[in-house]
Amino acid sequence: MDRVIGLIAANYETKGLGELTEERTVASLPYGGKYRVVDFPMSNMVNSGIKTIGLITPYKYRSIIDHVGAGKAWDLDRKNGGLFVLPGSVFGVHSENSHFLLRDLRRNLVFLERSPAPYILVSSANVISHMDYRPLIQEHIKSGADITMVYNTADRDETYRVGLNVENGRVTSFKPQPRKYEEAFLDTFVITRELLLKVLEWYSAIDYLDFFEAIEGDLDKMDVRGYKYEGYARAVFTSSDYFDYSMEILNLDVANELFSRERPLSTKAVEEAPAKYLEGAKVRNSMVTAGSLIEGEVDHSILFRGVHVCKGARVRNSIIMQRCVIEEGAVVENVILDKSAVVKAGSVIKGTGEATVIMG
Amino acid sequence: MVNKKPFIAMLLAGGQGSRLGALTKHIAKPAVSFGGKYRIIDFALSNCANSHIDTVGVLTQYRPYLLNTYIGTGSSWDLDSHDGGVAILPPYATETGGQWYAGTADAIYQNLDYINLYDPDYVIILSGDHIYRMDYRKMLRTHMENNADLTIAVMTVPWEEAPRLGILAADETGRIYDFEEKPKQPKSNLASMGIYIFSKKVLEESLIADSRDPDSEHDFGKNIIPTLLGQGKRLFVHRFEGFWKDVGTIPSFHETSMDLLEAEPQFDLRGQDFPILTQDDSLPPHYVGPNGSVERSFVGNGSIILGDVRHSIISNGSTVQEGAEVVDSILLPDVTVEKGAKVVRAIVGEGATVKAGVTFGSADLNVPIAVVGDDAVVE
Repeated sequence: MDRVIGLIAANYETKGLGELTEERTVASLPYGGKYRVVDFPMSNMVNSGIKTIGLITPYKYRSIIDHVGAGKAWDLDRKNGGLFVLPGSVFGVHSENSHFLLRDLRRNLVFLERSPAPYILVSSANVISHMDYRPLIQEHIKSGADITMVYNTADRDETYRVGLNVENGRVTSFKPQPRKYEEAFLDTFVITRELLLKVLEWYSAIDYLDFFEAIEGDLDKMDVRGYKYEGYARAVFTSSDYFDYSMEILNLDVANELFSRERPLSTKAVEEAPAKYLEGAKVRNSMVTAGSLIEGEVDHSILFRGVHVCKGARVRNSIIMQRCVIEEGAVVENVILDKSAVVKAGSVIKGTGEATVIMG
Repeated sequence: MVNKKPFIAMLLAGGQGSRLGALTKHIAKPAVSFGGKYRIIDFALSNCANSHIDTVGVLTQYRPYLLNTYIGTGSSWDLDSHDGGVAILPPYATETGGQWYAGTADAIYQNLDYINLYDPDYVIILSGDHIYRMDYRKMLRTHMENNADLTIAVMTVPWEEAPRLGILAADETGRIYDFEEKPKQPKSNLASMGIYIFSKKVLEESLIADSRDPDSEHDFGKNIIPTLLGQGKRLFVHRFEGFWKDVGTIPSFHETSMDLLEAEPQFDLRGQDFPILTQDDSLPPHYVGPNGSVERSFVGNGSIILGDVRHSIISNGSTVQEGAEVVDSILLPDVTVEKGAKVVRAIVGEGATVKAGVTFGSADLNVPIAVVGDDAVVE
């Protein structure tokens, strides 16, 4: 589908993720044992036949560039097209509601102008979903809309997502903080390239605004439509979102949808031996990633690569990121252990109901 | 213009491995899955990568399709380089016709042009059949220090294994004075590991001479080495002390696999400073269900364990359903063991299914290990 290029707006930060994003960005947040959140839009685009992808990087770009490299893991190291790592702007990215900063798009006008593709699919980098963009793109082309916004029905009151009023398929207005059962934007949209270039020109003087803030007053003049997505989709804004949504993959139906073999979720390759279980290992209702070594007990938890659960150690209801060590007899409950944390022998760490993050 | 490469590798991967029976019905032995996520050829290729050898010719012949696609551009072993890299070398035709590789020496002989392209000083000949970690640079140092024409990697083996190996005798300086392929009455228990470093000039001369000998079987062990020894060339041993295993039979494949599961295995797949590299699986973590259990086992990514797994290798993408049991067994990738089925002391081929309620294999040590090939259905 060379008529569409992809654009991932990864220049987004939120205080809600606290320590988890101190050294990394939302896009490079580790997820599901071996992935990063940005793997979702990257893989979805590639699996939908998009062969040219621009990735607008955040100011704290080390972790994301380390992760995507030249795009090899997604077959995006191409002579024609492939991955373009684009600069994001340094200022104005702390607004919690600004996901598609005009200034970020304007800084990359060359990328947008040079492409011959008539359509651009834009996605944020914090939505966990195995979305097939092809029906969305077809719908956009068929309807002749200027913009097609993807939404779903909120399954709780949302603090950070944008609500949409959709009437007969048309998006008539936006509203902040949609309530449960209201329609909410999934931070994914298709736009005709010509219009995007025009919008960037019209609003060049106020490019500190979010794209949708800028066009809100033009909704009656533009043809902006909604596209309802019925599959699994979760937007991560806070550490408790992160904890809750991560744990949902322990439901095999969710895992099978997100990690489908037909359209795989790709990620940077890291060499690890298969997970090893020794005598005394007791693992129940958990995801365990290659490179781990299990000698103790693990229940209702997610273990990333290379985690060592020593003899007599117990892990329950927790997310243990890569290379953590739970030493002999230690107990870990209800926490997120960030990369390379070591829980000393015999110690007990129990989080409260809210996601408790322990740094490595 | 191709840059000179002082040290290149030629990897023999054309063997069928018929003693692995059902496991090599559709694929060559080097492509057989091992250790939960690897293929046997990964070990030799990883040794090349870890030894900083960046030019590797892989000679294929028997059912090469899976092997060829698996090796691809060599990127899994960082061998996808503009300068050198991996080349797959199947038999080919010239203006005088073409022929299959008649033996290990003939396979290399037919690819002398490839070798000469890089104008190497030394060529290491490897086989894609063995499980081991080895820094080939150490062996090259032995070769250079001895100013040798040919250096053979050797290790001492139990006497009872000697009759099925290439056995040699060397003096205290390491110089070889006797070599016998599969001797009935072995005079020593020093065995060739099938790893040779040749000085390139000697390799070329001996292969050309061998190709003109109508009585030769064109085999390194049977022909080239005895001939060079007879000519008084400088043949030396390089003593290897470490784990090395030919997993060419079902019992040795099973035994070597089971040893990986020990807390202190003889061969540790998990070593980080000399990693075994393999093709990325792009599979999610494995899942162990609320009623599943796993002990003393390896479990690969993408697997789903809802039943009981004890002392087994569950390779990537396999499923053990509710109430099923897998004991002392190896499930190769993408196997399904259905509800209530039992797999005991067995090797289940890639993509195979063991139907619900069926028992496959036996705990009785007098019964041979049960084996079923790729994509089979055990009913």
